[in-house]
Amino acid sequence: MSFDTPQENRAFAEKFGFDFPLLCDVDRKMGVAYGAADSPQSSNAQRIGVIVGPDGRIAEWLPKVDPSTYPRDALKRI
Amino acid sequence: MMKPGDPAPAFSVKDHLGNEVSLEKLRGKSLVLWFFPKADTPG
Repeated sequence: MSFDTPQENRAFAEKFGFDFPLLCDVDRKMGVAYGAADSPQSSNAQRIGVIVGPDGRIAEWLPKVDPSTYPRDALKRI
Repeated sequence: MMKPGDPAPAFSVKDHLGNEVSLEKLRGKSLVLWFFPKADTPG
């Protein structure tokens, strides 16, 4: 997910054929709440990785993840 | 910085296809979320 608009992320997803939803936190509220941005004025999100458990609680929070490996590795842990 | 066991903050955002995605709707499932700085950039 990122702070981009649905249009921007749709183009990104179509270009690379992503088969997962790209969430669009355009007002940065989610980014601030989850610790990916310091303020709603932040231009870009930091590369945090988060696993939320079925109980609605944080199971893992990592400050910097590699997008080429994190999703696959994280899915193995849930 | 968040810690394991903290309640996940509620959210409701649109995905790239315009679908509404919220924590509430996904309750009971495990979620993997990762943020990237900007669509279609290497940085």
